[in-house]
Amino acid sequence: MRKFFPVSDLARDERFNQVTNEERMADPRGSGNTGVIRKARSTNRLTPSRPDATDAARNLMHGIMVGEIQALEGAGRTCFDFVTGEEAPFALKLDMARQCWDEARHVEISVKLSEWMGTELGQFVENTVLFAAACSQDPVMRLAGVNRALEGLAIDVFTTMKEFGEIAGDPYLAFCEDWMLADEVTHVKMGSDWLRKITENDPERRKKALEFQTVVDKLFSYGGLRSESDESPILLARRFRELAGFTDSEITEIADVSLAALNERREALERTLAPSPA
Amino acid sequence: MTVTVEPSIFSIVNYDANEIAEVANEMLKLLGMGSKNLTIEVDETVAMSRVIATAGDPIVVHVLSSAFENLKSPLSFSADNARLSLGRGLLRVRDRQSGNFDDAPLDDALSIVESAVWETYCVGRLVKLGLKVHKQRWHYNFRNRHGFNDATDRQFEQIWNADNLDWSQLMEISRNCAT
Repeated sequence: MRKFFPVSDLARDERFNQVTNEERMADPRGSGNTGVIRKARSTNRLTPSRPDATDAARNLMHGIMVGEIQALEGAGRTCFDFVTGEEAPFALKLDMARQCWDEARHVEISVKLSEWMGTELGQFVENTVLFAAACSQDPVMRLAGVNRALEGLAIDVFTTMKEFGEIAGDPYLAFCEDWMLADEVTHVKMGSDWLRKITENDPERRKKALEFQTVVDKLFSYGGLRSESDESPILLARRFRELAGFTDSEITEIADVSLAALNERREALERTLAPSPA
Repeated sequence: MTVTVEPSIFSIVNYDANEIAEVANEMLKLLGMGSKNLTIEVDETVAMSRVIATAGDPIVVHVLSSAFENLKSPLSFSADNARLSLGRGLLRVRDRQSGNFDDAPLDDALSIVESAVWETYCVGRLVKLGLKVHKQRWHYNFRNRHGFNDATDRQFEQIWNADNLDWSQLMEISRNCAT
């Protein structure tokens, strides 16, 4: 069986249309944080009080669903791509196998939630950035990019969706997101623990992995999708990140990176909206 | 009947003003509004799907770009989504012109609950006219605004299947969702 599977070869049926993160970020449009929409609401946070809340939640739920598929594919590759004992400890692979089991269950839950919310599978575009972070040839990089950055984003997203379900009174959404959130905290904790253990005597390798995580965190901030600002739909979930093994300074660093991404997006949007010189 | 699309040339999204006008003409005829003049203003700087319609001559429908977008292929046009978005806006105008919706707030002043009720009424009628619609999407939107319970589901079905309600009846059904 082939090792180190490229993102371009992910198998999907005809319902799905994939784009890279570069293609997605090339879309210069705003998502309501400008002009008349910005004036009409004081926050962009994804809550039921937003006029577009239902469609925005459906879109995010679809993103979660394809993200779970890619997380399953990524964890599965990590079980197989590396030589046991030499490149990756057996216990690490066992954790990745357990994560595959969780992700497969999350895919099924996300499919059912999408149907419940009135979304057809493949209705929205699939961004392949999540699996792209799982293509490194170093298992430590994958732990940093996938378990800590990707699953860290999942903690933020699930916390936001869980609160959305609670406020709207949607019993299924709130319940399912809460259970998946518990799994994600475990996945991040596994990544944090393994990253520290494997790089215990290799500070350079740890430094590179954490730098990679910063890059991926910025990508996953999607130009302001997630931060501690009200302008971002998804709130950085500090408490659950602490439970997952992030230190205060690490969380603050992610908050800073996310805010920088939001500011970059805001400036780009202002340039787009600026009147052309006559 | 004149249909005008602004802008005539798009610079951010890959839409064609003539194609939008064609869909608009089709919807005006389908809704029995073929004699009306219509101006469609597309704000291509915002990726949302809001539709605000104003009765008058011409009727003005202001849409944010995602209202006409193929969400599977961002920035590209979807005739099906354009039909649905224009249909919802034009039906609200037709309702207002009937005299039975004189108490309804203007589109941009509708509360999220009022908007959900009227959208349900409009989309239900568009289904009867043959448009392709995923009913569960609108059911979920209605539940988000009225609660997740059996009473809400019954009222949703009543509105979805109706075709001769006025504004006060719609609001009465909406209030009944809480009981």
